[in-house]
Amino acid sequence: MIEAGKPIFVQIAEQIENDIIDGVIEEETPVPSTNEFAVFHRINPATAGKGVNRLVEDGILYKRRGIGMFVATGARQRLLGARTEKFRGNFVGPLLNEAAKLGITPEQVAKMIGESERRSSTS
Amino acid sequence: MTDLLTGTAASVHPRSAPARIWNVLRLHLVDRRTYIGIPWLIVGIAFVITVFIAQIIGFTAGGLGTPDAIEGQRYSWAVLSPQWYLIVVGVQAISFGFPLALGFGVTRRDFYLGTALLFVLISAANALAFAVLTQLEQVTEGWFIDTYMFNALWLGIDGFWVDLFSFFVMQLLVFFIGASIATIYMRWRMPGMLVFWSSLALAIVGTVTIITFTSSWPPVAVWFGAQGIAGIFAWLLVPAALAGFGGFLALRRATPKN
Amino acid sequence: MTDTAVRVTGLTKKFGAFTAIDDVSFTVERNKIYGLLGRNGAGKTTLMQLLTGQQFATSGTLEVFGASPVENARVLQSLCFIKESQKYPDSFRPEHVFANAPWFFAHWDAAFAARLVDDFRLPLNRPIKKLSRGQLSAVGVIIGLASRAPLTFFDEPYLGLDAVARQIFYDRLLEDYAEHPRTIILSTHLIDEVSNLLEHVLVIDEGRILMDQDAEQLRGTASTVVGKKTDVDAFVAGRDIISRDGIGGLASVTVAGLGETERTAARAAGLELSPVSLQQLIVQRTTSTTSESMTTTDAWSARS
Repeated sequence: MIEAGKPIFVQIAEQIENDIIDGVIEEETPVPSTNEFAVFHRINPATAGKGVNRLVEDGILYKRRGIGMFVATGARQRLLGARTEKFRGNFVGPLLNEAAKLGITPEQVAKMIGESERRSSTS
Repeated sequence: MTDLLTGTAASVHPRSAPARIWNVLRLHLVDRRTYIGIPWLIVGIAFVITVFIAQIIGFTAGGLGTPDAIEGQRYSWAVLSPQWYLIVVGVQAISFGFPLALGFGVTRRDFYLGTALLFVLISAANALAFAVLTQLEQVTEGWFIDTYMFNALWLGIDGFWVDLFSFFVMQLLVFFIGASIATIYMRWRMPGMLVFWSSLALAIVGTVTIITFTSSWPPVAVWFGAQGIAGIFAWLLVPAALAGFGGFLALRRATPKN
Repeated sequence: MTDTAVRVTGLTKKFGAFTAIDDVSFTVERNKIYGLLGRNGAGKTTLMQLLTGQQFATSGTLEVFGASPVENARVLQSLCFIKESQKYPDSFRPEHVFANAPWFFAHWDAAFAARLVDDFRLPLNRPIKKLSRGQLSAVGVIIGLASRAPLTFFDEPYLGLDAVARQIFYDRLLEDYAEHPRTIILSTHLIDEVSNLLEHVLVIDEGRILMDQDAEQLRGTASTVVGKKTDVDAFVAGRDIISRDGIGGLASVTVAGLGETERTAARAAGLELSPVSLQQLIVQRTTSTTSESMTTTDAWSARS
């Protein structure tokens, strides 16, 4: 669940983000406490807290005094937007770079994507 | 800022020195068999054997209860039978107790004082018990079967108080000899043992040689005779105190073995 | 200042000609879990014995909760030191050890201890002498956890514990620490197993502190960069190189402190990045410099 070589707090933040995007945790509902995250993932509570705090800083989670952390309204939409940007940078960019190296034009790439989409949906 | 530090750490658990020392004593006594159960079991077994032997002697020598038979039983060491075990207990009080106590966050000082207090209390209790048993044995004329175990060696000669005092000193000496040997080992390991045993052997051989070569055995015997039982045991307080204080100084700089 | 549990300055411990701890300085903050990591014989146990007043320092200063721990009842009352080789009186059974504990640990939780006894399936009335190595370790682990001492030391506490029992130890440690924060110093060479539990890492090697870093900073920031030797060399020039390896025209270099932008730059330069676990990182740091120069020469000879 927790992989080596990547800061754990980043992984915790990403997992919460994924749960929000997938709708596992809905907006305006509470997320588990830092200690619950720590015990569940078998990680140091301070590390789990760092992951949660990162989402608080990003405005994805907010604190209700005395109750705990809640998912902010509009969090899912904002996460989807951010992830789309990341997707562009992490996947589309390198994809086009590699394509250029092989002499494949962006139009051909788009065509290839269309074909594989069709193939995977028919199979 | 220092105040804050002291405040938080002290609030952790402020235990007074007497309470800490008492806890060390409890640490030793948590397993009652070591200091109470097994020694008295040994006394009990020794008594049974003594009764057995007394009956055999009585059968062959034509009757117990004669002055000769009572005098003969004086040479039995049965009354001291738990002492060999208790020397080992003294050794183990240090060799096992010290590393355990330090692991429990006890200071060397508190550990030694608690252990010494334990020795004093157990010695007092044993002395009282043996002195009373010696008296009982006299009153019941050898437990009604002319069998004398406690009125042996020097016990039962000069009365209750001398028995009490002498047994106390003997018991204390036994504990502290065991403890100080273990302490020397704890502090200086094998080299310490070598130095200790060789200097002890040298001291004994040297003393015997000097007395022999100066033909001083008769005056030495006279001197011992003049001391009386109480006097000799009063002198034995000196090595007991030496072992006790020496052990304290040695243990203050000792480190538990890994 | 009040956040400091331990402050060590220029600490040295010599055993005759052998220097076990060599001019070490560091601090331990309160209520964090520290990993004291290093190879066998690196000085972990000696350091813990110094911190708990069981050994006497040759030179340097050492403060635990603001004062020297040596013969200091106030300080020592707040400590619990569980070591692999803890001795118990011959006649003792586990029940005796646990009966003792509340007299020495103010925060002792008997109910928690009882639960741990169940977890580890420890026979309470079997003589300590007859316990298996793992059961003996369980006695120590239970004392260390249930004592809830403000500063708890675990020195390789798992000897003989099987994987299941070790996982129980880590889980209970984490659960209880979350409920009752305290300072814990865990010495181990099973780094992979505990690395996620740690908040801070102290790596000791040949008596010196080699790393003193936040665990999260260590994790993730170190990466192995693999690629054409010329490209790799150009990229890692001027960086903190942890280890270097190579075959033919390929180089594989582990560097510390790569940020997100630098990673992107590396990928853009056609280099491959692979993660380095805490254990790999420490292994690379603590293998002596001779082996590092050896791998460099290997790389050289491979190239020529």
